Amino acid sequence: MSSLKWLGLGVVVAACVGYLVVSATGSSAEYYQTIAEMRGHGGSGDVRVLGTVQDDVVRSDGGLHVRFTAAQDGQTMPVDYRGTVPDIFRPGTQVVVDGHMGSDGVFHARTLEAKCPSKFSSAQAQGTPTG
Amino acid sequence: MALADLGSAFLLASLVLVALGAGAGVVAGRRDDAPLARVARRAFYAGTVGLAGASAVLLAALLGRDFSIAYVFEHTDRSLSTALTAAAFYGGQEGSLLYWALLLAALGSASLAAGASSSVRMTAFATAVLAGIVGFFLVVMVFVASPFALLPVSPADGLGLNPLLRDGGMLIHPPFLLAGYSAFAVPFAFAIAALLAGRYDAAWVAHTRRYALLAWGLQGVGLTLGMWWAYHVLGWGGYWGWDPVENAALMPWLATTAYIHSAQVQEHRGTLRAWNFGLVIAAFLLSILGTFLVRSGILPSVHTFAVSPLGPWFFGFLVAAVAVSGAALARRSGQLRSPEPVEAAASREGAFLLQNVLLVALTAAILWGTLLPLLSGMTGRELVVGAPYYERAGAPIMLALLALLAAGPLLPWRRLRGGWLRLLRWQLAAAALTSAALLAAGARQPGALVALPLVAAGLATCLAEYGRGAAFARRLSGPWPVAAMRVLARNRRRYGAYLAHAGILLVAAGLVGSHVWQQSRQVTLRPGESVTVGSHTLTYEGMASQTSGDHGELLARLQLGDATLEPARLTYPSLGGQAVTRVAIRSTPIDDVYVVLAGADARSATMTIYVNPLVTWIWVGGALLVAGVLLGNLVRPEAEVERAPARLGAAAAVR
Repeated sequence: MSSLKWLGLGVVVAACVGYLVVSATGSSAEYYQTIAEMRGHGGSGDVRVLGTVQDDVVRSDGGLHVRFTAAQDGQTMPVDYRGTVPDIFRPGTQVVVDGHMGSDGVFHARTLEAKCPSKFSSAQAQGTPTG
Repeated sequence: MALADLGSAFLLASLVLVALGAGAGVVAGRRDDAPLARVARRAFYAGTVGLAGASAVLLAALLGRDFSIAYVFEHTDRSLSTALTAAAFYGGQEGSLLYWALLLAALGSASLAAGASSSVRMTAFATAVLAGIVGFFLVVMVFVASPFALLPVSPADGLGLNPLLRDGGMLIHPPFLLAGYSAFAVPFAFAIAALLAGRYDAAWVAHTRRYALLAWGLQGVGLTLGMWWAYHVLGWGGYWGWDPVENAALMPWLATTAYIHSAQVQEHRGTLRAWNFGLVIAAFLLSILGTFLVRSGILPSVHTFAVSPLGPWFFGFLVAAVAVSGAALARRSGQLRSPEPVEAAASREGAFLLQNVLLVALTAAILWGTLLPLLSGMTGRELVVGAPYYERAGAPIMLALLALLAAGPLLPWRRLRGGWLRLLRWQLAAAALTSAALLAAGARQPGALVALPLVAAGLATCLAEYGRGAAFARRLSGPWPVAAMRVLARNRRRYGAYLAHAGILLVAAGLVGSHVWQQSRQVTLRPGESVTVGSHTLTYEGMASQTSGDHGELLARLQLGDATLEPARLTYPSLGGQAVTRVAIRSTPIDDVYVVLAGADARSATMTIYVNPLVTWIWVGGALLVAGVLLGNLVRPEAEVERAPARLGAAAAVR
């Protein structure tokens, strides 16, 4: 095979992969925002927000439904989440919530991940305690 | 007090020795000076001994519960079992650096001792590169993050280990992953040495093949155990979350997967020289990049455990490694042109090349997703991608790789003569049968209908290869089992590879099955009530609570056919009432029933029930992969001549 053919093949493969990456990014990328930024931008669509769980956690439905206030840099927002709650979730834990701000002023989270506190100093502990 | 001083002294002595080894190695390489190269090597060996001494001291301090040492205080307490106390050696930041450096020094010493007779210049430069890398870790341990730092006072007890990590997985998963990470440096050192010494033939490839396979095998085991731990301990029904920490461990593994295949093209056909250098260098740089991302905390990750002031150090090391590799490659770029390009796309080397391009593309897609928050954060608002991105971008590439697993091993070197249909008849039959069976069973998910027939075709290829060997053995003299063992033993590399292929295919089947057909339900049940998920009916019988050791247990009892499942929640009062889930899993080859208890009181229990099809095959495949690496990796280089007839030769032998 001539090098021109190989070059052509390479271009085709690169174009395919490039398309895959660009389209997948476009369809699934979300903004990672602070609470203040999210309030500022408003807008629709899902975003990911980091916050610290405050002391007002209310669990219901056998522990599969939680409402709490997340705080970050002096800004707060109420969060509502349904699903499996990570083991280490409790007041003081940092959580990453994925979802959207509802018209009721409550952040409806689709997923809730808890950040392992620094006490978890394992070198390579794997796994995502997601909901 | 005395222990800590002894450990620090070992580290410092080790640093001096490897610095000497690095300096002497560079000079010896430039002058082609054999005696000086020997000095460099011996300095490196002595440095390795120093690291072993420091490791022994740290282990003694841990097991002796010397809480005056900050590292011991922070990672253990008196209630911890001996095994977990010893595991704290690699369980924390400073200790994991020591463990990493020790393994790298030991593997490096073994590779240098084995290669000492080959080329003076190449071994001298390899000594210098290995000593440079080990030296970096020693500088960090001596000046920034010493495992032997002392506390101002000596506390009576330590802080202990988080209950999530008090598990067998904690004992075995991190050391494998860290060992894999450290082993990527050996092929890298010899690649850079070959470039510096001007040796572009396949000598460095042959010499480092076993180390590349070893790194690949160790990392493969580490990744599999990580998935196993996440699945069995964390209780979210899955095993892989596409977190940056997981991606960081996966990327060097993918690059090395590409290399152990393209290396064969260089060995057989003498081509792909520059590409092979690039892959080995990329694998090492990715392992350092991953370590930097993990330890700097620069990316949003749920794993914040290892965030430390070491980020800038690893970044500096990464920059230095990129500069050295780039300079070495650029200097020799003119001489790296391959003597002959690949002749035809439909050939073994064509298949390897395509597989390589796909693996590099997959690695690039993962790298893009991992670095996106950093890149977008520099230009504006920070963007993140999650599992849907990796699935959309990665799935088509993985399907193409599955197809190659079926077709690639059948293709002859140079070019295919004869038709595709004849070549792939068994594979097409296996795929068609699987499709028909899936359709008959009512499966309609396109992902499964494409992927599982490809897996079947790939397994047909592996089985056919074993069948061909067995048939060949029947024509040899002596009893058949003995002859078969002899054929297997003489072609361990080939049969090991097919065993590893079969392992990968089973892992793929497990990934596809559990992804496409997973079912889950969240239910609240009163005693006596039943719930059906998929084809399984579970009956809640009641709850029990008990105290066991340092924690309280709340467990629910469920009946599933003849089996009893007891998911539980464990509460540790000593750790501020932290709760930990204990998942109950009933595994069969067809599916896992996976129950996570969310809470229970006298009246009812709330739980999430998952049915995860084919998950068992992920662990079986991982084990086969290890078996394949062991089988293929134990071959000595001089015995690597292909003795038994390859497929075309076998056909000729029949006539």
